Amino acid sequence: MKETRGWQAVAQWLADKGLQPFAFQEEAWEHYLKGRSGLVNAPTGFGKTFSLFLGVVIRWMNEQPDYRKRSGNGLKLLWVTPLRALAKDIGRAMEEALRELQVPWKVGIRSGDTSLSVREQQKRQMPEILIITPESIHILFAQKEYPLRFAGLHTVVIDEWHELIGSKRGVMVELALSRLRGMHPHLQTWGISATIGNLEEALEVLTGTTSRESVIVRADVQKKIAVHCVLPDEIEKYPWAGHMGLRLLHKVLPVVQASNTTLLFTNTRGQSEIWYQQILKAEPELAGAIALHHGSIDAELRIWVEEALHTGVLKLVVCTSSLDLGVDFRPVDTVIQVGSPKGVARFLQRAGRSGHRPDAVSNIWFLPTHSLELVEAAALKDAMAEGLIESRMPVVLAYDVLLQYLMTLGVSDGFHAEEIWEEVTKTFCYKDLTPEEWQWMLAFLTTGGEALHSYDEFRKLHLVGDHYHCVSRQQAMRHRLHIGTIVSEAMLKVRFMSGGYVGVIEEYFISRLSPGDVFSLGGQQLEFVMIKDMTVIVRRSKSKKSIVPSWAGGRMPLSANLGKMLRRKFHEAMAGTAQEEEIIVLQPLFELQQLLSHIPQENELLIEQIQTDDGFHLFVYPFEGRLVHEVMAALLAWRISQRHPITFSIAMNDYGFELLSDQPIPVDDTNVQELFSTENLTIDLQSSVNATEMARRKFRDIAVIAGLIFQGYPGKSKANKHLQSSASLLFNVFHDYDPQNILLRQAFNEAFFYQMEEARLRETMERIYNNRIVITFPQRLTPFCFPIKVDSLREQLTSEKLEDRIKKMILER
Amino acid sequence: MSAGRAIYWEEEQALIVADLHVGKSAHFRKSGIAVPANIVQEDLFVLQQLITRYHPQQIIVVGDMFHSSANNDVQYFKLWRQQFPHIRFELIIGNHDILRPAHYADLQINLYPSLDLRNIHFVHDAADKASLPPDHYIFSGHIHPGVRMVGLGRQRLQLPCFYFGEEAAVLPAFSRFTGLFSLDPEPSSVVFVIAGTRVLKV
Repeated sequence: MKETRGWQAVAQWLADKGLQPFAFQEEAWEHYLKGRSGLVNAPTGFGKTFSLFLGVVIRWMNEQPDYRKRSGNGLKLLWVTPLRALAKDIGRAMEEALRELQVPWKVGIRSGDTSLSVREQQKRQMPEILIITPESIHILFAQKEYPLRFAGLHTVVIDEWHELIGSKRGVMVELALSRLRGMHPHLQTWGISATIGNLEEALEVLTGTTSRESVIVRADVQKKIAVHCVLPDEIEKYPWAGHMGLRLLHKVLPVVQASNTTLLFTNTRGQSEIWYQQILKAEPELAGAIALHHGSIDAELRIWVEEALHTGVLKLVVCTSSLDLGVDFRPVDTVIQVGSPKGVARFLQRAGRSGHRPDAVSNIWFLPTHSLELVEAAALKDAMAEGLIESRMPVVLAYDVLLQYLMTLGVSDGFHAEEIWEEVTKTFCYKDLTPEEWQWMLAFLTTGGEALHSYDEFRKLHLVGDHYHCVSRQQAMRHRLHIGTIVSEAMLKVRFMSGGYVGVIEEYFISRLSPGDVFSLGGQQLEFVMIKDMTVIVRRSKSKKSIVPSWAGGRMPLSANLGKMLRRKFHEAMAGTAQEEEIIVLQPLFELQQLLSHIPQENELLIEQIQTDDGFHLFVYPFEGRLVHEVMAALLAWRISQRHPITFSIAMNDYGFELLSDQPIPVDDTNVQELFSTENLTIDLQSSVNATEMARRKFRDIAVIAGLIFQGYPGKSKANKHLQSSASLLFNVFHDYDPQNILLRQAFNEAFFYQMEEARLRETMERIYNNRIVITFPQRLTPFCFPIKVDSLREQLTSEKLEDRIKKMILER
Repeated sequence: MSAGRAIYWEEEQALIVADLHVGKSAHFRKSGIAVPANIVQEDLFVLQQLITRYHPQQIIVVGDMFHSSANNDVQYFKLWRQQFPHIRFELIIGNHDILRPAHYADLQINLYPSLDLRNIHFVHDAADKASLPPDHYIFSGHIHPGVRMVGLGRQRLQLPCFYFGEEAAVLPAFSRFTGLFSLDPEPSSVVFVIAGTRVLKV
């Protein structure tokens, strides 16, 4: 291999720069040149792009003696990236390498931002390398004669595969690969992934059930990470609940001052807005050297921030997950995480945004937003030390994405059911798809899922022989605009009255404002004037007070790994054996907890019953993470409600959950244990009304992806008013009139498998059943229960008659 | 007032409903959105039950009787309509009622921009009160009204309702394939919520 012409040329090119290929790069080239598929496991900043891109170049040089003269060869390499912003930088690096290697290849970019003229140009002559998003591949599939576009393709690389695998975008990649393999049986597929818990599975999802030889290439480069904690001076005065952490602002500023450039990560956009304002207020001289970066800010401004990060003119950027991914910002040497990152992998990823030179140390500061979160800091450190990185579970049997895909094929050249069935069932996602489900889906697209009534006018795909095809141009156009699986809230653009674009904002937020109200977006105070043509018109305001939009997405659950570590830390802390400074600081709080109630030992479960003006509270602390708590709370509520009619509102966090009722809750020493019995667990789970509510939430995305909700044309939202409906309404009508609907079933499945984690729940229940259960009756709220009690986002469960409930309630006026 | 989302007016032997949206599911299906096809049958079956219970002479629809342009749900309605040739259908035109006049004639439906009976002024959207005669009270539809209820223990409910305000009453949407708009009741208003099979004053 190393003697081949291409390898020599590439090695020489690197040597001329005074460089040498990394061992993992050479390993990847070798496997690639032998025709294998696989996965490269490497962190950013270590030449992962070149480990595959140069392999393809070497192959071309080897195959074509006159490669220096050959241009216009058609598509060879498809480079899939999850982030549009990454495409440009990768493309630039590739072009530079190709120029210096004297390979006259073209590198093209295809994403939602690609201009019409470039698209037309690509239609006539595809570049040899196309950098593309998963959605854009499907958009190409939706065009007539799309196979011509992919003629000659021999390699597909999926960059940042770990970002895609756990989501429906990953399913889009799987489906795209299945079609490309159908057209090109010898296609080589490679992925690039950061470390995740299930790398082997990630490879399997990538290659599907094809019997091709595949390998994992690991770059054994370790990054040094130093974790620090911002500790409150007096724990007694630090709040018991909250999610802002602003009380520690004064301790953040010295860290920022001592650093070159700092990224401050918050979990929600709302938090980032407030932090930005408060920092400016505390340190006005930072103006000009501080910026805000999140998903609702105008794209141009975001690009400016990113450029400024590169050049090092910014001292501090307050950001959200919008800066999790992306190219490296070399000047960044410090990262601050406000509040729980909810997972080890995310914490590591964010830490890795600092100290980007291979030998540099990544510095990350953890800033707790309430006292008990300090325990999480200790848990994170331990989890990192033990290398407990989360797995990303691949999505299976996503019927909604498959329906969208079939429609995509239908609007271009149409498809033969037999051929596509063969391809689809070779993917990891659909390997267990049954022929009945397949038939249901085809029927859903041709007859609307019902036995054809004589008067029914449903039409989507037409069937001739076994060839499915969409004949309605209007529907085809509408479908092309709706390809994708990222379902966002209805967003409105925000503009100044005098002109000038500010950003976007959730319709839900604006609908609660009245003209004259002041809100903040992008760090600016804006007065709401009116909504006109789906645009929010605002003017600048000098008002000191403003409402900060509460963006959704702030309620990520704790990962199982971190949850386990957290429980261990809590027990260490409660037993007084912990050595970490974070936990020693917390001792006064634990003493108060012991005084008011009890501190559970490792083999104990604590339950607190407290009465307040709100009603009767029952707090339970399994320390199992939000997801398990949500289900367990519903289950307990349901089991109690079977004893006599009662209504609960339910709240939970990562430590425990609360059942709140307007009447005393009949739980005591004599009957508490049976509440945790695993007998009839599955049946009880399904009966708990919450399953329906969880499924309803899941159904929103499903309905949009499967094309049931029409979101309107860009810029033309007024048309097609008569096709508007909400996902919740659709969920109701399906539930009442078509309970066999597969999409409805998918919603329940997603709720059960992704949310309920039945296995984990069963294990926990068994543990608790055999534990000692301690019930206390504190006279006032305890440090443990306080953060749960103040949570206002609540579920409900009832066994009372609707009439009886209404009689006890009052109208909200 | 009936939990079937209608009001029966004895003196006029009139059944009053709002927002039937006949043809909504067919309109969706025609556009390739596979909602269940049998919603219109269910809705009209409920209306049929109300008719056999109250034996009205006329049915007053305060707007949005049909969802969109003509489709086969409208044809189904025509067949259904033939069971009750003796009942007058009085439609106050709503923003969704865009069928051609000939269609309404064919379906034996009388059209009005607004309608006055005794001291009641029927109009689709209560905000259009330009033609309101003095001392008249408005009956309207359009907004698919609902209210939020709160109780001890942070309980919350959202329910469809009949709303009687200072100047105007708003009827709940009749069709099950409609959403809810939560309104903020005026202090002096009287609200009746629909709780399953019963209507309760709150």
